[in-house]
Amino acid sequence: MASTAAIGSNRRKTFMAILIPVLVLFCAFNTIPLITGFLYSFTDSKGYGAFNIVGIQNYIDMFSDTRILNSYLFTFKVAIVATLGTNVISLMLAIGLTSKIKFKSALRGVYFVPRILGGLVVGYVFSYFFTYIVPAITGTESILANPDWAWVAIVIVVVWQACAQTTIIYITGLSSVPEDVYEAGSLDGATGWDKFRYITFPLIMPSVTTNMVLVMKDMLMVFDQIVSMTSGGPAQSTESISYLIYNNGLSGGQFGYQCANAVIFFILIAVVSILQTKFLNSKEEQL
Amino acid sequence: MAELSLEHVGKKYPNGYEGVKDFNLKIADKEFIIFVGPSGCGKSTTLRMIAGLEDITSGTLKIDGRVVNDVEPKDRDIAMVFQNYALYPHMTVYDNMAFPMKLRKANPDEIDKTVRETARILDLEKLLDRKPSALSGGQRQRVAMGRAICRNPKVYLMDEPLSNLDAKLRVQMRAEISKLHQRLGATIIYVTHDQTEAMTLGTRIVVMKDGVMQQVDSPSKLYSEPCNLFVAGFIGSPQMNFIDATVGEKAGKVTLSFGTNTITLPDAKGKVLKDKGYAGKVVTLGVRPEDVVDSNEHPANRNLSETIDATVTVYELLGSEAMIYADVDGGSISSHVSATNPARVGSRIKVAFDLDKVHAFDKQTELAIVH
Repeated sequence: MASTAAIGSNRRKTFMAILIPVLVLFCAFNTIPLITGFLYSFTDSKGYGAFNIVGIQNYIDMFSDTRILNSYLFTFKVAIVATLGTNVISLMLAIGLTSKIKFKSALRGVYFVPRILGGLVVGYVFSYFFTYIVPAITGTESILANPDWAWVAIVIVVVWQACAQTTIIYITGLSSVPEDVYEAGSLDGATGWDKFRYITFPLIMPSVTTNMVLVMKDMLMVFDQIVSMTSGGPAQSTESISYLIYNNGLSGGQFGYQCANAVIFFILIAVVSILQTKFLNSKEEQL
Repeated sequence: MAELSLEHVGKKYPNGYEGVKDFNLKIADKEFIIFVGPSGCGKSTTLRMIAGLEDITSGTLKIDGRVVNDVEPKDRDIAMVFQNYALYPHMTVYDNMAFPMKLRKANPDEIDKTVRETARILDLEKLLDRKPSALSGGQRQRVAMGRAICRNPKVYLMDEPLSNLDAKLRVQMRAEISKLHQRLGATIIYVTHDQTEAMTLGTRIVVMKDGVMQQVDSPSKLYSEPCNLFVAGFIGSPQMNFIDATVGEKAGKVTLSFGTNTITLPDAKGKVLKDKGYAGKVVTLGVRPEDVVDSNEHPANRNLSETIDATVTVYELLGSEAMIYADVDGGSISSHVSATNPARVGSRIKVAFDLDKVHAFDKQTELAIVH
């Protein structure tokens, strides 16, 4: 018994030795900044020097700030279009990459490349592409210089990059559908579109849920591509919420105000993710 | 319902492996055909070729006289019950059964009537709103059958549909399938590796081995007149006893000798062996356990051989009867005896063969010489 107790004690020590450093780091770089940011949202801090407590004034002001409201409109527009675009394209790619084609493994590797590239790198490459190459070919001005169309360029880039991981998740989902269910379907008459509509899509709903939530969250937090492609321009037409919080909060003297913006943004992302998960979970089936 | 014809059908995979070789079979309307054989013998591959789930690499498959080699599975008018049931997990029992009709754009009233009538036949009425995950194995199996029935196909294909059920449920469902065949008057092709299922269900049985059809016959003929050593050993449980024996002659009668024992064959069987030139040669003597009798049990109406000394090595009481495994000159022989037989492990007994039921097989070709 004594030796069992000693083993148990040693195990606890080992678990603690693993857990505590991670917990300290997580608190230091996540929990404490989160709480601090929340507290700063009730101040008029510029990010330096003295500040005053202003209560919920920052939150009240936010709702009449057209720049913030525009950034929310832009961010949600990009997020919704990009989430749908990413999922549709990824699903098509995944179906192609799970069918009987040659060089399947190599192609899967190629399609995953965008995932291992940094957002800034991709952004700068596409910035060059849209600024110099596309206008040279089409003879038009750069889409990035057009306030009405610059958001489309952002969507193209974020979708291109997000498709890599999303496709892999769909491939996993498609591979989990039992082959004999498809065979039963082929005898029952479910081929082509009917096969996808009645068998494949309902059975990969868990992957759809995962992808919709993950991609939506990533798209709402779009930042790297904005920094590298448009810096929020032209005329603030591509200013995402994350970019606005970073730009105005850290270099615009609105630290407290943008902390309030970040708190609201955090709550919104949480609510959207929970609603999406709840809605999509109700459509899922256990295989 | 329909007639099927498989002419020289073969399946060769890209790596050169031949799963099915030169398969020829005509299946009459309303027949219950069983494909039976050990794992990897090609029975499921043949069934899948009929269904259209595997390409036919050679030969011709006809349904009602129409060549269907290149016809899509959905257009062959065939329904299949899979080993793992292959139910649609996201659909209710009702939707699973209605799905084939729905895809054919049948009238909704007709769909509803058919599904409910089928559910009544299969005792699924109370389960119509459940999903497959909420059903037991037996219930899922019945839903899979129901889906096939609603389809009202020309031919039913069943790929080991009972193999995932427990022993008791399997016996119950076997009887249900048999009743269903009579009720539907359907042409059914049924794959199994369980020879009891094959014997009890089939009107004809196709025994396969290594992609080659070994014998096609009625269950009783297959049991009493197996065409070769493989069929003789595969059909029947426990399997037939095989003993190497030398064909001889004594007082004008043909004998079979093994170890220190000699049995005298009936004239008709002896003549066949002699006429076919087996005198002095070694053949394989085959005798089923129920045809090896303990001479103390005095079985009546049996044409018994000379007695053979044996020592019991294993005794298994099966309820109404018992199995004895006994040592005969270093070889083992099994025998069905009555449950009241006093023999136990170590007992020395005298057994005799029912001479009307002994078989002889060629040692080289393994083909049957005489039954």
